[in-house]
Amino acid sequence: MIRTKLRLLFMATLISLLGFSGVGYKTYRELDAVQRQMDLSWDLRAATVDLWRYRYEDSIRQNLERIQKVIDKDLVRSEPLDKMIRSYVSRDIPTLRTVSENFVYRETQILFDLRAKQRSLWDQLFQMAAFAIGISTLCVLFLMSFIRSKVFRSMDHLSGRMMDFLVDRYSFQFTEPERNEFGNLQKTFNALAQRSINNMEELRLLDQAKSEFVSIASHELRTPMTSIKGSLSLLTSGVMGEVEGGSLKLLRIAEVETDRLIRLINDLLDLAKIEAKQLPLQCEWRPWKEVTEKTIESLIGFAHQGKVQLVCEPSGTLETFIDADRIQQVLTNLISNAVKFSPEHGVVRIRSKIDYKNHLMIEIEDEGPGINEQDQALIFQKFRQGTNSDRPLVKGTGLGLAIAKALVEEHGGTIGVRAELGVGSTFYFTIPQWRKASLGERKTAA
Amino acid sequence: MRILLAEDDPNISVITQLCLEKIGGHTVTIASDGERAIHASKTEQFDLFILDGMMPKFSGIQVAEEIRKTNTETPIIFLSARSEPKEVDTFLKFATGFIPKPFDPQKICQAIETILKQRKAV
Repeated sequence: MIRTKLRLLFMATLISLLGFSGVGYKTYRELDAVQRQMDLSWDLRAATVDLWRYRYEDSIRQNLERIQKVIDKDLVRSEPLDKMIRSYVSRDIPTLRTVSENFVYRETQILFDLRAKQRSLWDQLFQMAAFAIGISTLCVLFLMSFIRSKVFRSMDHLSGRMMDFLVDRYSFQFTEPERNEFGNLQKTFNALAQRSINNMEELRLLDQAKSEFVSIASHELRTPMTSIKGSLSLLTSGVMGEVEGGSLKLLRIAEVETDRLIRLINDLLDLAKIEAKQLPLQCEWRPWKEVTEKTIESLIGFAHQGKVQLVCEPSGTLETFIDADRIQQVLTNLISNAVKFSPEHGVVRIRSKIDYKNHLMIEIEDEGPGINEQDQALIFQKFRQGTNSDRPLVKGTGLGLAIAKALVEEHGGTIGVRAELGVGSTFYFTIPQWRKASLGERKTAA
Repeated sequence: MRILLAEDDPNISVITQLCLEKIGGHTVTIASDGERAIHASKTEQFDLFILDGMMPKFSGIQVAEEIRKTNTETPIIFLSARSEPKEVDTFLKFATGFIPKPFDPQKICQAIETILKQRKAV
């Protein structure tokens, strides 16, 4: 465990520092004692020398008392003092002189020794301080390198692996985690990663289930519709015997509604497929004119039925990189919407231009009732229609614009509407990839 | 014209058969799965095959592959609920036509007329 090792290292540093400061303090105390002894010796020496400074009895006596006070109970020194006192009392001045000279000489010797001791103690103290500083510097250096190698490097390593996971490279899975805090972190991270992998797997399975649903639904919904539509068609055609009057009317209603239901199913499945990304676009360079003309041709009958005129303003010789079937679906949805909401003898204009992003922009303009602002954002959602559809020619499924939006976005374009109530609406969408068709290219295409 | 109709849904096959017989005046044999369709195609003579894309035992594609091993002339029309471009492409490798479900049975008659006209022109 890194924590235990760090704690031990800290303790070692602390103990060494404490130990050294303890020893240093003891040395300092010794120095202090030596200093006091030295002071004492100085005093004695000075007092003894002073014995002879003033040749009065008083001064000798005073100084002897001074010496006595300093010495107090020092046995070693009390003997020469006694001698001095005795010779003073017996007025034996020469003896007093010799004894005191000897005493001063001895004290000088002691002072000399003490000074030597003091010097050696100071040296010892300096050495110890230097040693302590050295040891603690080493400890700190060791600590730093330990932290760098065990903590920071492990952190870098771990974050590197986490980054790997972010870019879908799970490099941690098979490495044995270290037996320390980072090992624990790695284990936790592994558990998290495992969990998110499981979640992704679940999502994938869900997605797969959705795809399967779409595929099964396509088949299971369309099969009965085939029977219903077929039966109705045969009955109304009169092959199975004449149908007349009310019965025929009812059959026609059933037929129209069946068609509507089939359209709804197809739209729903289309949308489900687009949303499940099961509808890969098959893009290729196509002449734009051909795509629009084809779409408009297929809608002429419908427009004629609603007495609406379709006007396609000529575009240049452009080529677009699109899935033509899908873009035709978008155009069909938008144009048939425009027709549905156009008044009788109204005009629907289709024009192509280049927008500020240099994308090809297709506009479909109608003279219908327009769309109020709240509805403008709403109508591109599933099953949503504007609120003022007062004269719908064909009831819609509410999915046309949602499909158009999904398809345009699959192509990397955008879709939208500009509308003014009572004036008309202009739906537009963009195709990002287009080019001017050169003559040479058109030849090779032909 | 003799037609083999391979379709697993009994309702659809009845309706289609009715339509083909009543409107087109053709003779229709029904096979309710891929295996029977292959068997019928080997034992009887037909002028046209109408195959469902998804059937039990053998899919429409497998039946078509089997038919095309010995017969490259007789037209095949596929019916299928799945109409993704990729799948339509696979169908059209073997077939003359493709009709997506749900379909109007009268459209099959029209498709047959068109194919017949083209053949007569040759």
